[in-house]
Amino acid sequence: MKIRRFLSLLVILSCSICLESLGEETPILAISAGKIWTITDGIITDGVIIINNGKIQAVGENADVPEGAKVLDMSDKNVMPGMIDAHCHIGLSVNVQREMDETVAAVAADMQILDAFDPYANDVKKALRSGVTTVLLAPGYRNPIGGQAAVVKLDTSRANDWVLKRTAGVDFSVMNQALMFNREPTSRAGLVELLREELDRAKAYKPEKFNPRREVLKRVVDANLPAYIWAHNVDEIASAMTIVDEYGLNAVLVAAGQGDEIADMIAQRNLPAIYPPLLLSSRDKDLQRPGKIAGSGVKLAFASLAPKTDLYDLRTSAILAAKYGLDKEAAIKSLTINPAEILGVSDRLGSISRGKDADLVVLNGEPLQVTSGIELVMVNGNIVYQRQEE
Amino acid sequence: MKDIKRIFVFTSLILQILSAGGFGAEQIAIQGGTILPISGAPIKDGTVLVKDGKIAALGRNVAVPTDVRVINANDKFVMPGLIDSQSRLFVIDSEFNEGRSIAPELNILDGLDPFVKESPEVAAQGVTAVYIAPVSHSLISGSGAVLKLNGSKDVNKMLLKGDIAVKATIGVSANNQSSSLGRLAEYSSIREALLETKIYMHNKEKYERELAEYNQKKAEYEKKKQAKPTEKFEKPKRPARFRPNPTREVLARILSKEIPLQIEAHRVTDILNAIRLADEFGFTLILDKCTEGYMIADRIARSKASVILGPVTASFIETPRLEYRNHDVRNAAVLSKKGVKLALGVSGRDGASSKFITLAAAMAVASGMDKDLALRAVTLTPAEILGVADRIGSLDVGKDADVVILNGHPLDSLSRVEMVLIDGRTVFERKNQQ
Repeated sequence: MKIRRFLSLLVILSCSICLESLGEETPILAISAGKIWTITDGIITDGVIIINNGKIQAVGENADVPEGAKVLDMSDKNVMPGMIDAHCHIGLSVNVQREMDETVAAVAADMQILDAFDPYANDVKKALRSGVTTVLLAPGYRNPIGGQAAVVKLDTSRANDWVLKRTAGVDFSVMNQALMFNREPTSRAGLVELLREELDRAKAYKPEKFNPRREVLKRVVDANLPAYIWAHNVDEIASAMTIVDEYGLNAVLVAAGQGDEIADMIAQRNLPAIYPPLLLSSRDKDLQRPGKIAGSGVKLAFASLAPKTDLYDLRTSAILAAKYGLDKEAAIKSLTINPAEILGVSDRLGSISRGKDADLVVLNGEPLQVTSGIELVMVNGNIVYQRQEE
Repeated sequence: MKDIKRIFVFTSLILQILSAGGFGAEQIAIQGGTILPISGAPIKDGTVLVKDGKIAALGRNVAVPTDVRVINANDKFVMPGLIDSQSRLFVIDSEFNEGRSIAPELNILDGLDPFVKESPEVAAQGVTAVYIAPVSHSLISGSGAVLKLNGSKDVNKMLLKGDIAVKATIGVSANNQSSSLGRLAEYSSIREALLETKIYMHNKEKYERELAEYNQKKAEYEKKKQAKPTEKFEKPKRPARFRPNPTREVLARILSKEIPLQIEAHRVTDILNAIRLADEFGFTLILDKCTEGYMIADRIARSKASVILGPVTASFIETPRLEYRNHDVRNAAVLSKKGVKLALGVSGRDGASSKFITLAAAMAVASGMDKDLALRAVTLTPAEILGVADRIGSLDVGKDADVVILNGHPLDSLSRVEMVLIDGRTVFERKNQQ
């Protein structure tokens, strides 16, 4: 009797081990697509993408489909890389304004936004159906030094490596909104001076006297870590460039709304710009700005600043910018490879090329058409959203 | 040099104004391209003939007189002017906010600023008419109007039709503290106002009947008195004076179905309450915003209410108030599939956002709305809901010549508007081929 029980237990155990190993070895997936927007290698018509173990193994017109591969027929669809939102604040509880900034202290370099992030929040779940698969989760703009931004994949429920970079950079702000009446700084000059003080102290930082705030700023001063500097108006961008010049920071401009007016100066310094959502303003003048900035040679990526605007409209920003003068290729790059490069994850994301993560979006039309609906979204080769016909 | 330039600009401006004045009487033939009349199937290589600001003829075999101005629309798309039925153009919010009160007698026309700089930009995107209703802070906040973006600085010259509908609001939180009790109170305040109007109408009718009776009796009395001046007759008694009430008079027009009641409602309970009111009092209901409509699409379809839906995208929501909690981009697609009569509005962050009306339609298409219905939802359907379909909304003989010419299909995101006519006058023409 006892032996029988022992045997049955053994059978169950071995079976479950078997199942587990089967689960680990996902079958090879082949997507046959009408149009593949590779981003870095043009558009492939009637091509195939081979996905193995969450990575893109091959892509091309005549990629060999291995035997036993599961084939996904998307021959009348368009496939593009998962889009990347270069700045947003999703998953941060109902009162985003409160979670975004630690406004009691002006310098919060040691604050990590990831600590306030709820991977199970509703807006995170909803986000995937917008075709955005990776975001830079960032603090807000109301602190001169707001804290550390993180790069995360939005498939937070399935994958266990959804945090790509816990510290992807430090958010700075020279915007007028960072000035407050109840704490220093209260003026622009005071703000710039405060940044100098902090960066000078960071320069002199010795690891023996451990200080988490100084340590992270030290990496910024050494240009190991990007400084994301919020600056919207021309004067704010000028202040940002002053600091960048003085300390030789590896910087990215965030919300560079009026950047077109001094685009040459931004291009000269090789500063990329993360552009705010276009639906926030409806004046022709504002809608034409992204085209002008990119036209001067500035690398552009779009941000939704969600929940300020819907993540779904990240793509709308690029389309509107294209309608109002941004080069079409630049528009689609500003949703994919440009943010991947700016966030330092282009080795894994941003294009459909061999070796990169299989983060893909299938649309029923061209990416730069608002009418194109999102049919399917894939992260690491797993289908995380598929449109249901009701 | 500067002076010469200035004189040149000035004279050309005067010339432009003069010629613009003349255009109305001119005959125009828009030839070639694809005509999208909206009211019918597309016409390839047709002609639209415009005379005296109206569409005089339309089709493939239109006889074109010799002395007309010809606009070549080969390879282009020709369609009726777009209508934003949730516009805030010309409105400065704080100027039209009468607290939380019942004020149906207010008229949006009295609170408009026609000197809005962005208005030509909106017209340049093919929007030829906007419906502007009072904003949503009062319970019953006054009547809205349809204006044409013809470039006039005189509200009366822009006006196509006033007193379109009276706007009411149920369950919109001013400060994100919307409680169920508060919303219940709002609902019952509106209901009470309508009930009192019913009584008012009853009393008014009674008074008018009694007055007619009195007048008749009085005439008889005078007659008798004249015939026999010496005899004594009983003098008829005049009915008690009736005081007309402007507020009730407006609400009475709603109850007698002369004008619709447009109720802004976002959440399921509020939408159901609006439908309940319409069922009880039998007025024509326009559901405005209808944010959670997709959750009760069947109920709305059964109610026969028409819907002005917007914003389609959550990006236009300025403050994330409670009533937008379940906003879903698929709302329009779901409602239209159930057969609800649906117009799309922009409901954007500022007045100029009315220019995004085709974007709203394109977004509805992306989430499953039929392309033709989406296009109709920004042209003919709003015209029908607002009661101006005899003038605008489609390209049909006899309607106003509000025509848009584009270099691609209107729902193609990269299409550009080439030319816009309102009442046969050119209000926009793309100069350089960018």
